[in-house]
Amino acid sequence: MIEVERFTKRFGSTLAVDDLSFSVKAGTVTGFLGPNGAGKSTTLRSILGLVHPDAGGTRVLGRPYRELDRPGQQVGAVLETFDAHPGRSGRNHLRVLATAGGLPRSRVDEVLELVELSGAARRRAKGYSLGMRQRLGLAACLLGDPEVLVLDEPANGLDPQGIRWLRDLLRALASEGRTVLVSSHVLAEVAQTVDEVVIIHRGQLVRQGEIADVVAMAAGETLVRSPDASRLARLLEGEGVRMVGDGRLVVAAPPEKVGEIAAANGVVLHELTAQRATLEEVFLELTGEEAAPE
Amino acid sequence: MTALVSAEVLKLRTTRAWIGVLLAVASFSGLGAAATVGSAPDADLGSVDLSRDVLSAATFAGFLAFLWGITVVTSEWRHGTITRTFLLTPRRARVLFAKGAAGLVIGVTLAVVALLVVLAVAVTWLAIEGSTFALDRDVVEVVVRIAASAALWGAIGVGVGAVLQSQTPALIVGIVWVLVLEPLLEPLLGLVDLGRVASFLPAHALASLEGEASSSSTDAADALGPWAGGLVALGWIVLLGLLGALRMARRDVT
Repeated sequence: MIEVERFTKRFGSTLAVDDLSFSVKAGTVTGFLGPNGAGKSTTLRSILGLVHPDAGGTRVLGRPYRELDRPGQQVGAVLETFDAHPGRSGRNHLRVLATAGGLPRSRVDEVLELVELSGAARRRAKGYSLGMRQRLGLAACLLGDPEVLVLDEPANGLDPQGIRWLRDLLRALASEGRTVLVSSHVLAEVAQTVDEVVIIHRGQLVRQGEIADVVAMAAGETLVRSPDASRLARLLEGEGVRMVGDGRLVVAAPPEKVGEIAAANGVVLHELTAQRATLEEVFLELTGEEAAPE
Repeated sequence: MTALVSAEVLKLRTTRAWIGVLLAVASFSGLGAAATVGSAPDADLGSVDLSRDVLSAATFAGFLAFLWGITVVTSEWRHGTITRTFLLTPRRARVLFAKGAAGLVIGVTLAVVALLVVLAVAVTWLAIEGSTFALDRDVVEVVVRIAASAALWGAIGVGVGAVLQSQTPALIVGIVWVLVLEPLLEPLLGLVDLGRVASFLPAHALASLEGEASSSSTDAADALGPWAGGLVALGWIVLLGLLGALRMARRDVT
């Protein structure tokens, strides 16, 4: 439902996105991950017709965004920058959007109720907290009851209850068959919400797939405990092994291999545990950068 | 397109900027009208000429419509609201067209307010002096021309805003152009026998549309007629609109 095809974008001499291709299926929540400056926002803005590709392109529901018949009712978006006039009330902001999008006025109060912003709806937006601004953005996104949702860091500024609410909302929307693409730097958050991930780094795709596959594909590690740890360490030298003290080793190889080597050499093992990689570890391995702290 | 124009008008109504603009229009036009009636010789009281002179105070509405028109485009970039505007209407030329229509609405609204204030001041003052506000076909025509001129001013402002895009520079360029450059260009062009060219500049063209009502009208010999003035102003709107549409279409919203 969202297709990015050989999308390339330069800003001056900086290559923001380099020949990026991926697609997002209907009925899924897809996480769009990458370190800051990886090109996430540029890609999302191109999907939404706000940024012009230098080469390649992006499609939503089979068409470039600009050629959609009723974009307001087909695609909803939350972008990182605040996009309401500070002097306009949240409710009037949504009324303007509903008018321009040809949507019934009644939707305004419905979405305000939905994002739990009704109480502040008649206040001017300049007085809104970060969380309220984010909720207003979500209200604008949901206004047209869209089939495709594109969200750039929607959890920013939300409190834990708000994040939980957002997670449930995105899951519910996807289960209705809608397409949800959500960028985030809070990896723990993403891991709980998404079905698929697209990971980019320096404007290029590094991995796309179901989250379970992406995590499984990463080289897991094996924890071994042995009374003869130093000999075992020598035997496993070629496998990337490190002592963690107290007769414990961590080996960058699957448990089967470690067990076979130990058995072949008659080393006694007291423990052999497979350690599954987390999304965060996969992310760090693929992008080689510090993940932003939660 | 009707929906887009309604949305633009709703945008104008839902921030507080209009309060300041209306107050400015009302006070300046009112003061202008008072000054004209107050300084008129007794012999002129109740004359059609005085009525026309008094009405010219309402042309201030055009200048403010121009400035407000500029901000109709530039404030969207300034506050980032352009993002949602383009998300709903990705064919950006349509946005600009709707904004141009909003510029016309601004002009007519401000002109109506200015004319009402001017009439109120003039009628009251003349009544106190024991005279009346003379009305004939010409005076009514002046009223219509002032409103038309203010409407075109609003749309020209939208065009300037679309071309320049950033608010403060656009407002400064607009003010300097109308108040300094055009008045200076006229005598300068006159020196090289191109005085007639000056009458095709936007402020001059619209002064011609306002006709005798305008205090800043060109030398009668070089001035365009009201119809020609209006058409020239329309030409400027089309030109600025095309340039602005081109600039808006190309810009990345980041």
